[in-house]
Amino acid sequence: MVRIGIDVGGTFTDFMVSEADGGELSYFKTPSTPHDPSEAILTGIRTILETRGIAAGKVAYLGHGTTVATNMIIKGKGVTTGLITTRGFRDVLAIGRQTRPYLYDFHKEKPEPVVERCHRLEVSERVTASGDVLQPLDLEELGRGVESLLTDGVQAIAISFLHSYRAPEHEKEAEHYIRERWPDLYVTRSSAVLPEFREFERTSTAVLNACVGPKMAHYLDHLCADTRELGIGVEPMTIHSNGGLLPVAAAQRFPVATCLSGPAAGVIGAAIVSSLAGMPDIVTFDVGGTSTDVSLVSGGQPRFTRSRDVAGPPVRLPMVDITVIGAGGGSIAHVDASGGLKVGPRSAGAVPGPAAYGKGGDNPTLTDANIVLNRLNPVSLLDGRLPVDRDAACRTVERNLADRLGISLDEAAYGIIRIAAANMARAIRAVTVEQGHDIRKLALFAFGGGGPLHATEVAREAEIRRIIIPREPGTMCARGTLMSDISLDFSRTLLERADDDGWSVTIETLETLVRRGDAWLQTEGIAASARVFNATVNAYYVGQNHEIPVSVDLSPIPSVTAFREAFHHAHRAAYGTCFPNRQVVIVSVAVQAVGTIAKESPALLTGGKSLAEAFKERREVYLGPAGWQALNVYRRDVLAAGEMIIDPAILEEMSSTTVLLSGQTGRIDRYGNIIIDDEF
Amino acid sequence: MMNEVSRPADSVEMEVFSNRLLSITEVMAIHMMKSSFSAQIKERRDFSVGIFDAEGHLLAQGTHIPLHLGSLLGALETTLACVSIADMRDGDSYICNDPYLAGGTHLPDIAIVTPVFLEGGVVAFVANIGHHTDVGGIVPGSIAAGAKSIFEEGIRIPVVRIARDWEVDGNLLAVIAANSRLPDERALDLRVQVTVNRLGSEQTRALFERMGIVNVRAAVRDLLSYTSHRLIRHVAAVPEKRCSFESRLDDDGTGQGRPVRIVVTVWHEAGKLHVDFTGTDRQVVGAMNVSRNALKASVYYCVKTLLDPELMPNSGLFDAVTISAPPGSIVSPDYPAACGARSITCQKVARAVFGAFRGLLPAGQVIASSHDVLPVISLSGRHPGSGAYYVYAEAIGGGAGATAGHDGMDAVQVHVTNSLNMPSEVLEIEFPLLVEEYGLAIDSGGNGHYRGGLGIVRQLRVLADETVLSVRSDSHKFGADGVHGGGTGQVGALVLQRDGAVQEMSSKVDGLVLDAGTTVRFTTPGGGGFGSAKIRPVSALMLDLKNGVLTREQALRDYGDILQAAERAEF
Repeated sequence: MVRIGIDVGGTFTDFMVSEADGGELSYFKTPSTPHDPSEAILTGIRTILETRGIAAGKVAYLGHGTTVATNMIIKGKGVTTGLITTRGFRDVLAIGRQTRPYLYDFHKEKPEPVVERCHRLEVSERVTASGDVLQPLDLEELGRGVESLLTDGVQAIAISFLHSYRAPEHEKEAEHYIRERWPDLYVTRSSAVLPEFREFERTSTAVLNACVGPKMAHYLDHLCADTRELGIGVEPMTIHSNGGLLPVAAAQRFPVATCLSGPAAGVIGAAIVSSLAGMPDIVTFDVGGTSTDVSLVSGGQPRFTRSRDVAGPPVRLPMVDITVIGAGGGSIAHVDASGGLKVGPRSAGAVPGPAAYGKGGDNPTLTDANIVLNRLNPVSLLDGRLPVDRDAACRTVERNLADRLGISLDEAAYGIIRIAAANMARAIRAVTVEQGHDIRKLALFAFGGGGPLHATEVAREAEIRRIIIPREPGTMCARGTLMSDISLDFSRTLLERADDDGWSVTIETLETLVRRGDAWLQTEGIAASARVFNATVNAYYVGQNHEIPVSVDLSPIPSVTAFREAFHHAHRAAYGTCFPNRQVVIVSVAVQAVGTIAKESPALLTGGKSLAEAFKERREVYLGPAGWQALNVYRRDVLAAGEMIIDPAILEEMSSTTVLLSGQTGRIDRYGNIIIDDEF
Repeated sequence: MMNEVSRPADSVEMEVFSNRLLSITEVMAIHMMKSSFSAQIKERRDFSVGIFDAEGHLLAQGTHIPLHLGSLLGALETTLACVSIADMRDGDSYICNDPYLAGGTHLPDIAIVTPVFLEGGVVAFVANIGHHTDVGGIVPGSIAAGAKSIFEEGIRIPVVRIARDWEVDGNLLAVIAANSRLPDERALDLRVQVTVNRLGSEQTRALFERMGIVNVRAAVRDLLSYTSHRLIRHVAAVPEKRCSFESRLDDDGTGQGRPVRIVVTVWHEAGKLHVDFTGTDRQVVGAMNVSRNALKASVYYCVKTLLDPELMPNSGLFDAVTISAPPGSIVSPDYPAACGARSITCQKVARAVFGAFRGLLPAGQVIASSHDVLPVISLSGRHPGSGAYYVYAEAIGGGAGATAGHDGMDAVQVHVTNSLNMPSEVLEIEFPLLVEEYGLAIDSGGNGHYRGGLGIVRQLRVLADETVLSVRSDSHKFGADGVHGGGTGQVGALVLQRDGAVQEMSSKVDGLVLDAGTTVRFTTPGGGGFGSAKIRPVSALMLDLKNGVLTREQALRDYGDILQAAERAEF
């Protein structure tokens, strides 16, 4: 059974291949093709099949993380979209939550709504909060409206009516009417994407879905046809923001769910790898070119959030709770007019990139600092495929920073690394405290090209004593797509009191949602034995605005008393207090339908070499207060399980580099992870 | 010529130190939000935390509320003035809230100040302020626009010790709690505030220990002088001339009476920025007065926003600004004037300071006036079915001023607040009200090369008899000023429709009883325009018409020439 996991990044498309149960995984990287991401995917798959002599028909799984939808949203490259709303409410999308994005800056504007006002159309219809029809839907008016939108170049339509989370009939009627007359038009109704109250977030999610829908559908059609042509018999799956996999049809219907595709896969993978290594409580630390993603995993479970802004407009769907820090390898350091040294938020990105990469960049970046100090290989990276111009890095740090600050080149470069570490450590501390965790009991799980490079400095700054570095950290997201399962979330707003009556409605709704999830899994061809359902009840105390998720068992569903207990408990865990005498409101319920996929069991690291045999070279490296020191550089990928690294050292592998500082001890565990302990 | 200010001795250490301090304020803020009980602190994040050095300089502050900028300073200054450092012990905490006795801004904001000890001496202070939902006074919530003195606004607390050895003084707590309509919440939240400071002081101590006090002092010096230098650099770039501006409140807070003027003059001299409110009208009878420290916070907000939005809020910023105001004026009231409902006046202070700066800033940094109100509408009564008492209250945003290069933002909160709206679905679920319209206020943006942002219309139908309407707003008389020839934004309006009659109301309504079927239409003001309407690009004008944010009638009035020229060209 051959399984291929893919992650499409801005610069590279990563592949992870598993050829046998319990066997070694192999890695592959090819430059991304942003104009058509499927090109790099095809190139990669073809190369893998050829070089490893795999028959296409043997491929039993193909999963990928993609930024197609995300990039469309960020760059405003979706299709021209129309929105149909209840009369009196077309500006909901423009008003948003009436906040300005920057407290102290009027020159940074609130983002323009995704749908222009002239394409936001009001129709006569009205349903009350209790679901009663106050005014029927005027279909003729709707038809005329759609007609005019189409004349004006609209290519996709979102429908969002007030209170449709409770009474979706008008939305369904409108959807049906439009589909019948314009069968090729991409239509999204808000109650299908997110049947939950709060009209702005629901409308925004529906609009984004429609806006990216046509192009995403086209992209997936294309990818399917191409892989089929290669002779691969399985459909490519897409990782979505909750870390689960979506089959093609579902991804085409709910493309907005893929907006956090790649990063979510990394966290899912990290949770599994760290749990196997016996450390289920971690902070993930994924350092890329322009940003760093931080997420908390506790008890082996990633944490989820219900809302997130994607370049401005909110998407309200369950997703892995990832905090993004605007600091990555490409972050530019500069000296401001008052002599302050700042790192970021400006980034050199992939192009023009760090000065040392010779692609036209001439600003000093975090990566350049690592090259100046010889922490990164000063000759080449990516197994020799990426030549490095250390002189260029030195020149730019010298000229732009050291000279202006009147300090040495080494001090300036090390300053960049320290400032970036302080910035990253601050975000890590905030995430852990927010989730109520004691940072001293967590391990830092470092991946992405730059994670291991900075992990040791950052862990020290954040006072974390243990670090885990998986094998080939730069391809963790691709690896994560090999570890995930099919899943889709079904939810509904209830707003019922947590009493006997309200609880029976809750149970009934949960059962309905399970039936819907079950039917979906059936259409996706998932065997009954592989279907799993996870239920969540979101609730708050009367008078509150933010609901807290409480997991509930489905067989049997607990009593309302037991649920209330569980809610008080969850409230205490989240906020430190609870109010056992206050009324609890059940805001919404959600069921995640999971179709488990057969996966290889994790490979133990066999073979490998001793430290002495993995020795590559001796290199002068700048370690901070201790100055320049000659360190051993080892090839990480050949190190055998059980090897210990006691002295400061550099560990290099294809996709990443680990810097071991003095006082830190590394050992290779039985899965090949580096476990670093710090004695500070 | 300004004096050359020295560069930081160690830019790296300063930046790392600054991040570490901010990390502590973030941890304090998260604990404050998570552990507190009242919705005001927990959900609206109406609180602030800060770290000070032993001399009382603010080093770092965390807040979501611009009106809290530097508002901890008053509490700290008074604590240092009232309590000798020699009498402080590790584990002590002090409490205060009064605008006249303890540098407060209004009574609901209660501050806790805690010294941080290292090796037997005070090396720093940590402090926090939380907005308590009720501290007594004549109305629930303790903010009554009609309050006539501070004694009608709740319990006054001078600087007193509230904890020793981290044990909260139960007697004092009982006295404070007994003065609130929600005594349990007060007692619990005050304990949380002390706990948050304890956590902050432990982390600050650990940081200072780790860095060594000598290095800390060097980093503090660098941080404060760097901030001052950054600000003064911007100030030095503005011409040495005096610029004045006047903004007006509709009335004294009662809904009647004459408009109240706020006059400000701004200039730069000898490396300092002077902000002088001479000419401002006398203090008013109601609670619209702005205490000394609320004035400072409003001015600091303006300076940061206008000159350097990224500037760290610490004493380096404050020390470069000198504020003066005539005693007994609405922006520096004499004891015992009421000051609970200060927010709208603070918005007008911001309008005046933004206006005065127009003469000093390069055109690219200037912005036209925004709606500059904090309009609060509330409807209350009993649910027809259950008979349960309810209160709907919402602060509604409006149009922002246009800038050189952009139309003003539509439908946003400005200046001292940034609170969320209430989703219409939530509103209808919770209250016997029907939302008939929630949209942008058409034609409300002032005309110009770049037009002002649009206000918001909220039209509600009352579904139950004996519904009580209260509105605390302003700018029904004076719209947002345009700049460089830009037009004035439309004023706000409150219109009732009942029994077939339409009735226009003033910006203040106190407890008007409505019957079922009455419609309340509340329109917030638009922002002012930037530059002459004559040079608005035709494409932008046509788009506004196509988008329906501008009616043809209004377009003919504001942009007649270019509209007609464009239409002629089409034929």
